[in-house]
Amino acid sequence: MPEPASRRSREGGSRLPGDLPALVARFAAACHDAGLPVGPDRAERLARAVVTVAPRTTQRLRHCALATLVSDPAQIPVFDQVFAAVFGGLVDAAESRGDPNAPPLAGAPPATVAPRAGEAGGAGVLQAEPGPAAAGAGTAVPVPGVASAAERLAGRDFDELSAEELLALAAAMRRFRVATPPRRSRRTRTAPHGRRTDLRSTLRTARRTAGDPVEMIRLAPRRRPRRLVVLCDISGSMEPHARALLQLLYCAGGGAGAEVFTFATRLTRLTPALAHGTPADVLHRATRLAPDWSGGTRIGEALKRFLDSYGARGMARGAVVLIISDGWETGDPALLGEQMARLSRLAHRIVWANPRTRQPGYRPLVGGMAAAWPHCDAVVSAHRLAAIDDLLAALADPVPQRTARTTVR
Amino acid sequence: MTAVPPGGTGPPGGSDVPDVDALRAALDGVGYLADDALATALFLALRMGQPLLLEGEPGVGKTRAATALAEALGTTLLRLQCYEGLTAGEALYEWNYPRQLLSIRLAESRGVELGDADLFTEDYLLARPLLAAITHPGPGPAVLLIDEIDRADDEFEAFLFEMLAESAVTIPELGTRRAVVPPVAVLTSNRTRDLHDALKRRCLYHWIGYPDPRRVEEIIRRRVPGAADWLAARVADAVQRFRGLDLLKPPGVAEAISWTTALHVLGVTELDVPAAERTLGAVLKYAEDSDAARAAGLATLISRA
Ligand SMILES: Nc1ncnc2c1ncn2[C@@H]1O[C@H](COP(=O)(O)OP(=O)(O)O)[C@@H](O)[C@H]1O
Ligand SMILES: [Mg+2]
Repeated sequence: MPEPASRRSREGGSRLPGDLPALVARFAAACHDAGLPVGPDRAERLARAVVTVAPRTTQRLRHCALATLVSDPAQIPVFDQVFAAVFGGLVDAAESRGDPNAPPLAGAPPATVAPRAGEAGGAGVLQAEPGPAAAGAGTAVPVPGVASAAERLAGRDFDELSAEELLALAAAMRRFRVATPPRRSRRTRTAPHGRRTDLRSTLRTARRTAGDPVEMIRLAPRRRPRRLVVLCDISGSMEPHARALLQLLYCAGGGAGAEVFTFATRLTRLTPALAHGTPADVLHRATRLAPDWSGGTRIGEALKRFLDSYGARGMARGAVVLIISDGWETGDPALLGEQMARLSRLAHRIVWANPRTRQPGYRPLVGGMAAAWPHCDAVVSAHRLAAIDDLLAALADPVPQRTARTTVR
Repeated sequence: MTAVPPGGTGPPGGSDVPDVDALRAALDGVGYLADDALATALFLALRMGQPLLLEGEPGVGKTRAATALAEALGTTLLRLQCYEGLTAGEALYEWNYPRQLLSIRLAESRGVELGDADLFTEDYLLARPLLAAITHPGPGPAVLLIDEIDRADDEFEAFLFEMLAESAVTIPELGTRRAVVPPVAVLTSNRTRDLHDALKRRCLYHWIGYPDPRRVEEIIRRRVPGAADWLAARVADAVQRFRGLDLLKPPGVAEAISWTTALHVLGVTELDVPAAERTLGAVLKYAEDSDAARAAGLATLISRA
């Protein structure tokens, strides 16, 4: 019978004070300061949401703010820190879902919230934790000498670079563009020799001939870039190269849409993870997920796994597939050969980036690389920044060049 | 396109939900358990006339949230399933060409010539979900579900963005159709790719995480009403443990429901290793995942909490 009371209890959490509008405005501003994309439009939306819902508890208020200020699950930890800082005195321990290591709640000014890693621009996005560069101001400041440093580093092999030096290459990597050859899309444009008919236009013309469609208006498919699928070996010897090439993919224009998998003895799909974290985080997670890399690399098995789970279901069809591996196969090379043959029937192009091919005259005589080689359209070294152009050219080449395909009579 | 006429289950004039608690109760009434955050987001979408973007891994109840909302409000559901290559013709409207051709022939037999004004009229227009949502006559707003928007391509996203921003669509031959009762738009995404910032800025947002085991247990009870209470609890706990393994496809709510259904249909009286083995395919979708579960020890995974 006491209806309002039962509602209050369902809402849960502690009661809110009267000066809510002022607090809400302060909260939106604090979210902005903490690096969340909260502009005046979102602040206004939160204000309207609070009027609409009339929350009586901090928990319901948090839910109004979540729906209006946040647009990505990765923002929630920062959001919760700011929420605790602004409404801290009001939050019960039980309902605070933030980071247990969040700053002390009551009265703490929102300015104590660290800026997001990545806000500092430059190499910041690649760091798991805000380093010295990111810890200072939240704006990008051009650092003198970056270009020359990058030039110097461009000529060194990835496996000679320290983690810091690799990060210093980020700016240079942003200048690259990853592009794949076009494929036909389901969308269309008018074309005189197109295979499909544009009914709408044909009908319009047909009216002039009393309904006989004499002149067919043809449609041809539009062209879109092909999907890029990257399979990256993260076993011990490959780790520095894997790190560098994933960083390249993350920084370069056009690389963001790629499907990325890592493997050593098992296959891990990074694509959803890459949308959340920086390559450094993601690679760290991937290595943690696959702690068994000292056991060697099973490229054939990983490839089979990829084809069974994703590739054959459409991901590899018509795609450009980039395999990053030194080709040290601890499994059966015959399996790798079989799986490469399978992949080559699906994919538009297979490019293999193998740092061992940096040695002039390298020829795969036995083992994994020998089995895989005939199915590749291109093998590149991609072992340093100065070698990346070859890799990009190989990915963009529209003409398949498989030896397995061309030598079979 | 699926148009579900107002069902008899929803409360009459159901769009008149006074507050978040009432909406939560109404969703509960149609078998959907929403937590307070989701209910608040849905309520805001309803009241503020802003689209709601629901994201989460597959099977956490995004699609069902929208269909349940329509049911709870007793209103029309218009559903657009997205896929790569989806075109405006499939989403918005199409002209009824056979009918137009027929009219041209009929007119010709009477010695009359038809012009644009005769052929491109309301009579020949086939409304697809987006146009149907815009022209929905009310009294309450329709629920427009744009499902798995991450599967459509960017061009469609841009087009959708404009339509949502304007609550209007323009048909070149007929002019602009403005919504009488703007729809409650619910967009879902499995996050296979990021959506455009512009679209995200336009939307309210809610991330649906995998619910805790007690809520999963409750959901199972609702969805498999015949199953024993102990079974729902045991399945929820076991699924939670499966999710702790590093699997290719961690089981979600949908898998918990189908596993319970399988166990229930087989009439198991105890969730032991043989029973789990017989039904493992209902909860783990890959042979590799089943192997991983066996390696971790099925007996422990399914043991009582
Ligand atoms: N909170 C919930 N209450 C009731 N049923 C739910 C809930 N969450 C998920 N389900 C059920 O789980 C299954 C999967 O949900 P669905 O909406 O298809 O997931 P998604 O669209 O996120 O992939 C459906 O059978 C749905 O009814
Ligand atoms: Mg769905």
